[in-house]
Amino acid sequence: MRTSRGETVLNYAFLVLLAVVVLVPVAWFVLTGLSPNRAGTIDLTNLSFANFPEAWEQADLGHTLTASAVITVCAVALQAVLAITSGYAFGILGVIGDRLLFPLVLLGLMVSLEALVVPLYYQLHDIGLTDSWLGMVLIHAGTSVPFGTFWMRAVFRAMPVGLVDAARVDGSNSWQMLWHVLMPMAKPAVLTLCLLNFMWTWNDYFLSLIFLSSPDKLTATVALGNFQSMYTTSVNLLAAASLMISAPVVLLYLFFQRQFIQGVVSGALKDA
Amino acid sequence: MTVDAVSSNSAVVARASAPHPKARGGRPRLSRRTRQRLLGLAYAAPALALFTAIVLVPLVQSMVYSGYQWDGVSEPTFVGFDNYVNFFADPDLRDSLVHVLVLVVFFALLPSALGLVTAGLLGRERVAGDGAFRVILFLPQVLTSIVVAIVWGRVLGPDGPLNTVLRAVGLDVLAINWLGDFTWALPALGLIGSWTNFGLCLVLFLSGMGTIPKERYEAARLDGAGPLGEFRAVTLPGLRTHLTVALTLTITGALRTFDLVWNTTRGGPGSATTTPALMLYRFAFKDPQIGQASAIGIVTAVFCLLVALFLSRMAEQR
Repeated sequence: MRTSRGETVLNYAFLVLLAVVVLVPVAWFVLTGLSPNRAGTIDLTNLSFANFPEAWEQADLGHTLTASAVITVCAVALQAVLAITSGYAFGILGVIGDRLLFPLVLLGLMVSLEALVVPLYYQLHDIGLTDSWLGMVLIHAGTSVPFGTFWMRAVFRAMPVGLVDAARVDGSNSWQMLWHVLMPMAKPAVLTLCLLNFMWTWNDYFLSLIFLSSPDKLTATVALGNFQSMYTTSVNLLAAASLMISAPVVLLYLFFQRQFIQGVVSGALKDA
Repeated sequence: MTVDAVSSNSAVVARASAPHPKARGGRPRLSRRTRQRLLGLAYAAPALALFTAIVLVPLVQSMVYSGYQWDGVSEPTFVGFDNYVNFFADPDLRDSLVHVLVLVVFFALLPSALGLVTAGLLGRERVAGDGAFRVILFLPQVLTSIVVAIVWGRVLGPDGPLNTVLRAVGLDVLAINWLGDFTWALPALGLIGSWTNFGLCLVLFLSGMGTIPKERYEAARLDGAGPLGEFRAVTLPGLRTHLTVALTLTITGALRTFDLVWNTTRGGPGSATTTPALMLYRFAFKDPQIGQASAIGIVTAVFCLLVALFLSRMAEQR
């Protein structure tokens, strides 16, 4: 390749500049969370984790992180089951009426939440599923069906055809074929789907804001928003609470960078 | 696919040999393909049922609601398309639409342009450690929206680090309350969106660069194309699909902006940074005009749909 040394240096300089622009606000915030000064001034000589227990208490993170964890874990599990079964149905078995049903599911990929939250709120309110973790799990699971179906259908369809045929000749029933033949090979794709769903559910703010109201049920994201408007003066505590709330997704991201980035890219491209 | 071919063949055979499904025994004899597709329906049923309850039914109800004036308590009155007309006639609602159009520039066009340039530079050679850069630049995409709002709310605050730096270098005039300023609040929010979306655009473009055959670059170079010519002749056409996807995601994201605005300016100062989603939330849950809220939701969804269709049509052409 005809790339000069000068060009390489320039590329690096440009990349470093971009990385700095992305990281500086985050780094400032991390250091603020570690500094004792309430006004948010960074004090590099006195960095400590002392703010974290206090922020945990004041922002009631014990309750709110539990809410986020319960909702997210249940939603991710249900989303995975629904995606696998319906992806298997549409991708391998075929579905009666799929000429109508599949486009309908695809439509769901394009419909934004705004178009349904208002009636959904009243509908769930009538059956006692607002201000309820179960309600949140069902909402997250229901809205994830289009992407999950699309994702798993593509995964199953990409598998070698001989595999399915061989299982059929062996006399496997549909459940054995899914569980023993297809699933072992689909594991990496299911993991990626779960990671993406985890991120989207944990990071959700809009739905939790609308559908949850009592303080002991709020998710961490909404509670943090309330904490922000109440404790405008203790920036260091706010930063510490924010760090603890973003930690689960950021840690998963650092562990599974490839899955996150590849997942978002291929998920987005599949949508097109 | 072969699976389909096999099963449709067997369906043809079954149809030919068994014109009367109930011929033998009392039980209807369905073809293997039909039985399998019934089984498929059973597998898909839980997902389809939940999807119908959570998405399809409310979507239809939303359209019905949008034809009424209703405060959520008293009897609704039918008003036809008034709520839709109002979206474009009411100054506050119209402003919110103008605001998100401004945000589109910052959320979509700016990061896409910058992402293209960066991908163009990086794609020409493997830079050692580009994986690490990718992980860093993509980080804002995985950060919780509320945390992004809080971080930037403080960074841009009256006594935040940005103004501290500006004062330190003698630019005191520029040290304003960015998110509280009628002129600057919207562009400031926009730049936060640029910061968030840049990594997404870059990662998409880099994956697209990987699909462009190296020979095309060599051919362009043999034709005497410089870096710019190469970018125009090879990189840009090669990234058409990826550019479409990036623009679709970021533009619809801008049109739907809520979390960021709600957690920084709440639409203020005055109504300088309102968005349709913010107005929807107010109309739905603060100052109930359910019909108006539903109409906002439907219009937003239609705009997003049109953007997606228009862009994918653009990508198919040429």
